[in-house]
Amino acid sequence: MESLKLLAGIVLAALFHFAGVWLWPDFARAVDVFLVVVALFGLRGNSLAGLLVGLLVGLLQDTLTSGPFGLFGFADTIIGYVTARLAQRLVIQRPTGVLALVSFASVLQQAIILGLTFLLLPAPAPLNPFWAAVRAGSCGILGMILYIAGGRWRRSSEVRRRGRMSKLRLE
Amino acid sequence: MDERRTGWVLIVVLVGQLVYLAVQGAKSGDTRLEAIGLRLLGPMARGVASIPGGLHDAREGVKLRGTLLEENRQLRREVLELRLRLLRLTDVEGEMQRLGNAVRYPTPPAGKVRAVDIVYVDHTSWLRTLILYTGDQEARKDQPVLSPDGLVGRVVAVSGPYAKVQLITDRVASVGGMILRNRRQGVVRGGSLGNDLELDYLPLQADVRPGDRVLTAGIDGVYPRGIPIGTIASVQPGGQLFHRIQIAPAVDFGALDQVYLLDYQTMPETLKEARPGGKP
Repeated sequence: MESLKLLAGIVLAALFHFAGVWLWPDFARAVDVFLVVVALFGLRGNSLAGLLVGLLVGLLQDTLTSGPFGLFGFADTIIGYVTARLAQRLVIQRPTGVLALVSFASVLQQAIILGLTFLLLPAPAPLNPFWAAVRAGSCGILGMILYIAGGRWRRSSEVRRRGRMSKLRLE
Repeated sequence: MDERRTGWVLIVVLVGQLVYLAVQGAKSGDTRLEAIGLRLLGPMARGVASIPGGLHDAREGVKLRGTLLEENRQLRREVLELRLRLLRLTDVEGEMQRLGNAVRYPTPPAGKVRAVDIVYVDHTSWLRTLILYTGDQEARKDQPVLSPDGLVGRVVAVSGPYAKVQLITDRVASVGGMILRNRRQGVVRGGSLGNDLELDYLPLQADVRPGDRVLTAGIDGVYPRGIPIGTIASVQPGGQLFHRIQIAPAVDFGALDQVYLLDYQTMPETLKEARPGGKP
């Protein structure tokens, strides 16, 4: 069930990414939907699953870029592991905590990719601070919205389940 | 699994990826993993691209109905002008061929173009790319990609009906270019601003002016000669040896929806990699 949810999350993220890029050409620069999926999965606290999901999602993201294959795979592996380790040590209950964590993950990812491009590419593009900040902020906000929506959906499904159980008991 | 073992897994995975990245270097890989990724994501991108396209077409159809007659008249005028121009060019081509035959000059084949749809375009983020749907006829690696305005890039990975294109504005991309006015040759690379280009290795003595048109030089073994790349926007003294030249691309990458694959015989890899003194 967990892997099905993850698969659905990745497919939805990819569709959201394609639709966003088609509607607004700067979308890929402003939001990283794949990173949000990795960071939210890492929030569950399983570091091994976090790093493997990061690797998988990162490699998929690499398919959509033209640099050396594996840049995002490397960065997202670290992101998946780091967010899971942070989730083990910190109690994140408020949505603002998720916002801060996902924004931090975005900054970390951009720093890793920048470092790797400087190491590997002959003429790497310098990071645009404005777009880096926009990307971190938008990823944080998107992560927070998804976290709130996920929490509400879980609560409402729990209420429905309890309602069904109490009806069964009355009968 | 305890955290210590997970830490070791992380180190192994990261080292493995670093080695893989280092082996690839600056090349855009055409790996099996990338091909699988293209196969998985390509249909999704195609599905999403077809929805807004259909909506856009329907809206444009209604909007255009009113101006259709005027546009038709204008197009007829343009067709007449183009026919006249074609007549002149046919004459020039015939003359060129006769002169070429006289000195036994082997004219390189012009190549055929075929239109293909773009299903994904990312021309603004760090690593610029484009994914094409090529249908039954697969694209070829290193195949040049054009638009009616000029050079777009080259195919770097192919997976079934999907092909990934590296744009010329990518920092990693480089194209052999020449200035049309004086045939000065240099290397065109993706610029630092993101959507611009730079022309490198043109000595300070070279006569370069803003407004000069830059075409492909046909010296890189990938692109044929004479495809428009862009126009020189600014010329500055870069260092002690070379100019620092910025080029505005001929193609508006934000307005691309269809491109053309050029079926052109590129130089064989064996010739490209041949080194002086190496075995034949």
